[in-house]
Amino acid sequence: MIVLKDVKKVYDERIVLNIPHLVFDLTKRYALIGVNGSGKTTLLRILAGILKPDLGEVTSTSTNNMGYMPQSPYAFRFSVEKNVAIALDKEQVSKDQVLEALKAVGMDHLQHAYGNQLSGGETQRMALARMIVKPRNLLLLDEPTASADIRGTSQIEKALLKYADDNNCTLILSTHSPAQALRLVDEVLFLDEGRVIEQGPAEDVLHHPKHPVIQEFLDHWKI
Amino acid sequence: MRKYLIVCFTCLMLLGLIACTAKTPPAAEIENPVIRLSTTTSVNDSGLLPYLQPHFEADTGYKLEITSAGTGAAIEKARTGDADCLLVHAKSSEEDFIGEGFGEERLPFMFNYFVIVGPADDPAGIKDAATAAEAFAAIANSGSKFVSRGDDSGTHVKEKNIWKDAGFDPAEEDWYISVGAGMGQTLTVADEELAYTLSDKATFLAHDNSLSLLKEEAEDMKNTYSLIAITPERWEDTNHAGALAFIEWITSGKALDLIDKYGIEEYGEPLFFSMR
Amino acid sequence: MDGLIKAINLLFGENPELRQIIAVTLRMSLISTSISSLVGIPLGALIGSREFKGKHWVQRFTNTLMGVPPVVAGLAVFLMLSRSGPLGSLKLLYSVTAMVIAQVVLITPIMTGLTATIISIPAPRIRETAQGVGISTWRQMGLMIYECRSQLVSTVLVGFGRAIAEVGAVQIVGGNVQYKTRVMTTAIMMQTNMGKFHFAISLGIVLLVISFGINALVNYLESRGNA
Repeated sequence: MIVLKDVKKVYDERIVLNIPHLVFDLTKRYALIGVNGSGKTTLLRILAGILKPDLGEVTSTSTNNMGYMPQSPYAFRFSVEKNVAIALDKEQVSKDQVLEALKAVGMDHLQHAYGNQLSGGETQRMALARMIVKPRNLLLLDEPTASADIRGTSQIEKALLKYADDNNCTLILSTHSPAQALRLVDEVLFLDEGRVIEQGPAEDVLHHPKHPVIQEFLDHWKI
Repeated sequence: MRKYLIVCFTCLMLLGLIACTAKTPPAAEIENPVIRLSTTTSVNDSGLLPYLQPHFEADTGYKLEITSAGTGAAIEKARTGDADCLLVHAKSSEEDFIGEGFGEERLPFMFNYFVIVGPADDPAGIKDAATAAEAFAAIANSGSKFVSRGDDSGTHVKEKNIWKDAGFDPAEEDWYISVGAGMGQTLTVADEELAYTLSDKATFLAHDNSLSLLKEEAEDMKNTYSLIAITPERWEDTNHAGALAFIEWITSGKALDLIDKYGIEEYGEPLFFSMR
Repeated sequence: MDGLIKAINLLFGENPELRQIIAVTLRMSLISTSISSLVGIPLGALIGSREFKGKHWVQRFTNTLMGVPPVVAGLAVFLMLSRSGPLGSLKLLYSVTAMVIAQVVLITPIMTGLTATIISIPAPRIRETAQGVGISTWRQMGLMIYECRSQLVSTVLVGFGRAIAEVGAVQIVGGNVQYKTRVMTTAIMMQTNMGKFHFAISLGIVLLVISFGINALVNYLESRGNA
């Protein structure tokens, strides 16, 4: 369980995150939805422990093995294999494990390519392989398919779901896409201007939103 | 006939004009008023030349441009056509230079003494030596450190000659430190290394160090300064007339008196002695 | 022209002193560059890889040290090592060690400053990615150094170029002692002052060739690093 209490983050006198009370139940999967600048990335970074909130506190139980994937993950100037292997301790690096993770995201044919020569979508898939190369009980993913094409997106989603099932791993991811949220998660948190304006089962929030801002957001997705 | 008279008259007029202005010699009268004097550091850094320069310029209307370096470099400057007159103190180098046809004669005009300086406690015991060669032998035998200019300067040439007289060839010895530098830095190194060195007296007195003057005024430590006017045959823009004018002035009784007086005020004794 | 021919003959002929000077120069430059790199690169990586209070001041301080004129550094080391100085009892003045010390004082800030600048460019993104998979701070630093390896090699070469071409500080603390601390730059100064131009030209040629080689190598590495 992760509990946030009175958490605030301020940049240049602008409140980017303001959460009086929020609980993540680690048996569920969550999606953070909202427009750019609504606070999704800030919230994920605070949950990952990369960012300290200016006020309030975050307490968590049994999240000792988490992974966090930033929106634009870094691809090192060495082979894709090694790029994935950095997630493992030096003693426990196993080639098979790395190759399996790459296979899961459909990147095994690029194992010897250089990290810095990958496309944006390939980089995100490699970064996901980095996440799933070893068992974890919590994954925090910031727009994991933002740079991927349709095929890459479906590969990432498939790999994520399988991994979460196999490892009994909690997912908290941010996304712009309501459809993706429906495919991947149980619960949706809708963020607007640093606040959670609605929270609940994905079907409820995305099909019957109470808040006009969410309705407006969803209207943009209708063709 | 009339034409001839006019020319004669004009000539007389011009001569008269020159005679009228001769009391305060203008630069215009001298074809090339700039004399490039290449000299050794000891006469320039000791302040002797800066002290003589205004007297010379006021008396003759020439302008002196002084560059100072070790004697080796000073002579080289004359070889490459960058000097009109030499004032240096290394007889053998000077004779080589004249032998190569760059100058006609060397004119010794003043001297002073080299001094041997070293640590105050004088570990080699050179104070009792009668000559510089004896002192050098004592240094070599005691294995005390010796710092050499090592730059082919007049002082360096002199030092090598003293070693020869003493019967030593120290170049490869551990205690022999060749720094390839001017007198000032050589004294600094000697001070730091607690070593002996050969110096001209003027630079030693002007240099700030803790070394002691241990040996001076032995006959083989005489340091003779000479003048050489560079021949214009090698480089035609050489100011030969200027060089001769400078030599004539500096060997005059007035200049030699000035040389004999220099240094008494500051150090209580003269730094250079005229030869007449 | 005559001087140039003499110089080239000297270079390929039998002149043990010329080679000895080149050897001392290379030894001094290699040792001082190695020490400066071993100190400066980790220190620069430490500064460049993370955010901390006072980072701004540390960087400003490093930049100031980067601009210290060599003769001033030389004078400072001279005063330290002088017989009357605090480290006088070590009797290091006018030794290759003294020259190495002066050069380390000069080059380490340059290595530190350049490394910090190089590392700080990818540092925020590497840090976020590495923290996300639970990599320790020290291993993160190692990753950053490895990631910037080609630029850091250029930095080392810049330091070496600086060491080999420096004259003021090594003249003061080395004293240009024949067979001992005479290096190419101080020898060129001396030979020029003595009017022995062909010896100076020979050394000048060697120095130019080395500098040119280093520059070519830096350019090559940088073009490869950007690919």
